Amino acid sequence: MPAFLLYLVHTLFPPDTRQPTELGADFMILVTGIGIVYILTRYKKWRWLWREWLTTVDHKRIAILYLIAAIAMLFRGGVDALMLRTNLALPNVQPIGALEYNEVFTTHGTIMIFFMAMPFIFALFNAVIPLQIGSRDVAFPRLNAMSYWLFAFGAMLFNISFVVGGSPNAGWTGYPPLTELAFNPGPGESYYFLSLLIAGIGTTITGINFLVTIIRMRAPGMTLMRMPMFAWSTLVTSALIIFAFPPLTVALALSLLDRTFGSSFFTLGHGGMPMMYVNLFWLFGHPEVYIVILPAFGIFSEVVPTFSKKRLFGYTTMVISLVSIMFLAYGTWVHHFFTMGAGPTVNAFFGLSTMLIAIPTGVKIFNWIFTMWGGRIRITVAMLYQMAFIPTFVVGGATGIMLSVVPADYQLHNSYWVVAHFHNVLIGGTVFGLLSGLYYWWPKMFGFILNERQGKVGFWLFVIGFWVTFLPQYLLGLEGMTRRMYTYPFGFGWHELNVISTLGAFTMGAGFIALVYNILWSLRYGERDLTGDPWNGRTLEWALPSPAPEYNFARIPVVHGVDEFWAMKEQGMTLANQLRPQDVKALELPKNTGMPFMLGLSFFVGGFGMVFEWWPIAIFGGLGVVACLIYAAFDYDDKEPLPADVIRHTEGTFGRLQA
Amino acid sequence: MSEHTSDGTELEAVEPGLEFLAPKFEVEGFPWAQVMGYVFSLLLTFAALLLVVDHAMPPILLLAVILALALGQAGLQLGVFMHLRESRGTAWQLLPLGLAFFIAFALVGTSIWIMLFKTGVS
Repeated sequence: MPAFLLYLVHTLFPPDTRQPTELGADFMILVTGIGIVYILTRYKKWRWLWREWLTTVDHKRIAILYLIAAIAMLFRGGVDALMLRTNLALPNVQPIGALEYNEVFTTHGTIMIFFMAMPFIFALFNAVIPLQIGSRDVAFPRLNAMSYWLFAFGAMLFNISFVVGGSPNAGWTGYPPLTELAFNPGPGESYYFLSLLIAGIGTTITGINFLVTIIRMRAPGMTLMRMPMFAWSTLVTSALIIFAFPPLTVALALSLLDRTFGSSFFTLGHGGMPMMYVNLFWLFGHPEVYIVILPAFGIFSEVVPTFSKKRLFGYTTMVISLVSIMFLAYGTWVHHFFTMGAGPTVNAFFGLSTMLIAIPTGVKIFNWIFTMWGGRIRITVAMLYQMAFIPTFVVGGATGIMLSVVPADYQLHNSYWVVAHFHNVLIGGTVFGLLSGLYYWWPKMFGFILNERQGKVGFWLFVIGFWVTFLPQYLLGLEGMTRRMYTYPFGFGWHELNVISTLGAFTMGAGFIALVYNILWSLRYGERDLTGDPWNGRTLEWALPSPAPEYNFARIPVVHGVDEFWAMKEQGMTLANQLRPQDVKALELPKNTGMPFMLGLSFFVGGFGMVFEWWPIAIFGGLGVVACLIYAAFDYDDKEPLPADVIRHTEGTFGRLQA
Repeated sequence: MSEHTSDGTELEAVEPGLEFLAPKFEVEGFPWAQVMGYVFSLLLTFAALLLVVDHAMPPILLLAVILALALGQAGLQLGVFMHLRESRGTAWQLLPLGLAFFIAFALVGTSIWIMLFKTGVS
């Protein structure tokens, strides 16, 4: 028995999980865990947690779950970033060593893309899309809950790698042979492959769900060309997800086979082709960057008209550029590995296709500027992020065009120039966009408004911190500092710029703290949104109370044009003054179910078993997955009635029913 | 020409020559097509596996044969399980399906083009 325990401790807690940072994380996880369990038990909230949240299929609640996860992961990825910047602040000063540095930058990248940006985007999809297109729910509410729990348990599997067994350390791209078992033993990379595979199933399901929702469930009269622009960007993003994730799944699954079962798809020896992994990864990876940026474009296309009090300039060209970005996004992936040396023809083709993307993107930038032109602009936090986005994203786009020039790329490849470029577009585009959307739709999600003054403090900290962090990194790249180096000697002239960059990173951290403080402060003291339309909005979600009742619309509205709610307000109409008691009909709502949670848990158990190659546990988890799917397939009792009286009562309490 | 289904939605008339696209939502009974489709898909899979494991023929011919088996498999999956033939009225799913094929072939084709680099530089 002691030998068995010794083996367990040795496997689960090898020496590199017993360093100060890991022990600190252990302590924090323990304290937080005990705290949560204590509070839930003390206030008898376990039942509430299960019935209201863990089993919910309501898209508005799933949105909140996604948002909580995204902000927690933003914290984790941000702390990782600060650890990296601290290690690089001064030459030869290394608070964390080389090995841990590799683990932390791998975790930072993976978490920020897959477990921060993606759920943040899905939070806004879930919170907004059904309301915006005049629908009562998404097309497949249960699949929606399944998506969330697969994402959540995938994220959890990835996160525990830091303290149990050891983190992945081959970068967020997981290239072979860095991930090959011979060169990288231990559970770290298996964690990476399995958690991304599990979360990837959830992401694919979300793509399908929102594509079908938008195609099939728009309110009568809402033709495709009358859809709000955020719905358009969601449609295009969903299509990108459906086509982009299969290559990733294949690449990850084959790598896992290489590691776990000794196959040779991407190995150095035995006829494996490591570069094929790189090709497959970027077949996914390039559409992925559009998956995370297009929703931000959609958010800005909602925020700008609202706070400029004008309809969006060039609606049709906006749609055309979205769709052309979707197609072009599939034709540029080689620019991530020009230096593989595929030959001048291939590189020239993909260099040109990369430059082409700048055209539709530029069209969109000008359309936002022309929307603001002559408008009555209100400087809210949501609008501030948009106004910071335009110059930031233009710089990020321009440096991207410079990278698409193949000879220049051969010089800049894997330098800090590239690091600065992609943070410039991912933070300046995606994160600014998501924060803008967060401030804009927060009242609709939670029923209170985030404090604008505190929001502006957070905004300035974040934006100034961003520029102070990443502008020096362009210069560092030009001076020859390469990506992913854990330290550097004195005398290269790099240390001043690195110190500045680190100071900027901590300023961004302060901006994050300001955001969290703002959320907690506003939860208690923030202005309540009693009208449901705090920004004088233009689209249908603002026609509903905040937060919307569980059935969204007592009666589905009929749409006559773009900006339907604005047109209604112009005619002095609301949803309320059109609703008579006899119009309210009984509804059927999807019934809560514990299946998605159990499915996620089964995947987690099975994935954990696979990571350590403890086959009985892996098989047990796999059987759990099969059991959940069989249960789901034969569970016909998936709807519950909502009587008309209940709806009348709810609408009455909002004062939205005519006598 | 139109008929009503049990949930009251109206079906468009099926054009002559396109009867195979007619909806099959209301047909109930033992799903023989699905069971046989499952059996055949397993047969195709194991046939390909056995041919490769046994090195049953010269490599080029082997590649051609398993590609042919793969095409048969794809057709089977689309026809039996992926609702290729089911539609209320116009078969709108054929359009995005064509798009999907276009993207898939374009991606596979360009990937082969890119990965030929070894012959280009060595």
